[in-house]
Amino acid sequence: MTAVAADPTPTIDLSSTSQVPFGRLVSVELRKMYDTRAGFWLLALTGALIALALGIPLIVLALTDETISANTWGQIMTAPVSLLVPVLAITSVTSEWSQRTGLVSFTLEPHRMRVVWAKFVTVLLLALATVALAVALGALGNIVGAAVSGIDPVWDMEAGTLAWTVLTQVAYFSMAFAFGLTLLSTPAAVAVYYIVAMLLPFMVYGALYGFFAWARDIIPWIDLGFATSVFTTGEETDTTDLMRVIVTVLIWVVLPFVLGLRRVARAELK
Amino acid sequence: MIRVDSLTKQYGDFAAVKDVSFTCRPGRVTGFLGPNGAGKTTTMRVMVGLTPATAGEVTIGGHHYRDIPNPGRHVGVLLDASAQHAGRTGREILTLGAKLMGLPLSRVDEMLALVSLSDLEATRRLRDYSLGMRQRLGIAHALLGDPSVLILDEPANGLDPAGIRWMRGLLKDYADRGGTVLLSSHLLNEVELIADEMILIGRGQIVASGTKQELLAGRAGGATHVTALDLASLSSALEAGGFAVSAAGEGLRVETDPVQVGRVAADKQLVLTDLRPAEGGLENLFLELTADTQRESITAEEVAV
Repeated sequence: MTAVAADPTPTIDLSSTSQVPFGRLVSVELRKMYDTRAGFWLLALTGALIALALGIPLIVLALTDETISANTWGQIMTAPVSLLVPVLAITSVTSEWSQRTGLVSFTLEPHRMRVVWAKFVTVLLLALATVALAVALGALGNIVGAAVSGIDPVWDMEAGTLAWTVLTQVAYFSMAFAFGLTLLSTPAAVAVYYIVAMLLPFMVYGALYGFFAWARDIIPWIDLGFATSVFTTGEETDTTDLMRVIVTVLIWVVLPFVLGLRRVARAELK
Repeated sequence: MIRVDSLTKQYGDFAAVKDVSFTCRPGRVTGFLGPNGAGKTTTMRVMVGLTPATAGEVTIGGHHYRDIPNPGRHVGVLLDASAQHAGRTGREILTLGAKLMGLPLSRVDEMLALVSLSDLEATRRLRDYSLGMRQRLGIAHALLGDPSVLILDEPANGLDPAGIRWMRGLLKDYADRGGTVLLSSHLLNEVELIADEMILIGRGQIVASGTKQELLAGRAGGATHVTALDLASLSSALEAGGFAVSAAGEGLRVETDPVQVGRVAADKQLVLTDLRPAEGGLENLFLELTADTQRESITAEEVAV
């Protein structure tokens, strides 16, 4: 307590305190991702999905003559860790509004953009962690799978492919985060994310891509997955392929991110 | 310590707060009283930088809230006890606050003890908390950083009478150690119990401010409730003195100050058993001052009865 009752115009001495370090904001935001029941179950379900994704190919390997290489294993394992975890990137922002915790978060750190960037860093860490986990589990699957098939494991994952896998994962997580920022509503952001990231590519784009030549021209320019797939599968690529990635990232990541930052800076917390 | 200077907050054509100025001093508990929608919460939200002011400014200890580094260490804020993640435990909510402010985790246990939340209660999730428990947790959260200023919006809401008494003790003690407290309420008796000074707000404007005594002193025609062993004699003596007297419960209601009634009784050597300002003096004042701002149209005449 620093106040002096006798002072007619009392002021608070701020010399003893400094701004909350950015690292501390990040570590608190990280903790907020898993300390709720929702966060806990999301991660637990992801664990179950991982077990399934690891188990099913192994059963297939045991029953058939198929073989799976390390690169394929990595791709298989990326699916379960990418399915639910982006929701954490969304709720990290939207729960501040839906649960109204923003009233506390933005009074303890009134510079809202610092809170938002701290959240974004946790989202990046989360994306990196999921890829690391997928690669580790893929390696495990590769060793066990090779043993099951009775062959030597094939280690064919290249650094370039891995880098693109990381970049793609970061792009998707950033997209989820950006939708959260723009919409500030968990159900809306989750719905839009799954439509854009899963439903459209699998249900709509996939069919169109297979049947129509014009779709093969257009879709890689508007869908992140189609744009990046040539890189993550290690195919031959050219400048056009790179341009497609840049364009889709601008549309689905940068644009909603910028709109979202403007919204958060101004939005009132009720 | 808290200085609100010509604050106006406009939402389109609607002015939630109009040219409001007041100060809250250290060592005092200041009550911010007004009916629902009078502008209390808006004023407090502007104070802590959640809502930008349209005009005017608020400073806390001479600083804008936004310029205070690690503000939780200087200003304890409770705007809404339910504005916490329903899926977090009470202890976790305090732990997050302590970590962010850079406090040792022992502080969490201290605060839980201070607001009488047991270890078992602290491990329950917020969705299972009663409003009273949420308020206690919110006050613990506001006090975590050992701030010198407290800003509490409707902190007594949901507390039982024992809880309100507890909070009065806590805040008095805090103010006695030099702290500044601003708390809002729409219930007069809460503020009357807890606050040293009051600021009355209605429809976005300050209608009165001061201590309870100051507020009542400025009011013409205060009434007195008096009871004596010989009520009949007192009644006739008062009427002889020109005061309007009416029967009220076991005693009399006299349309004058207690001191006048006391003088008459002393002159006539009558034994009084009870002498006090008539019940609801402050309540009438509150309703009167905010009458034109109430949703229910209570006229000044109705209030005076």
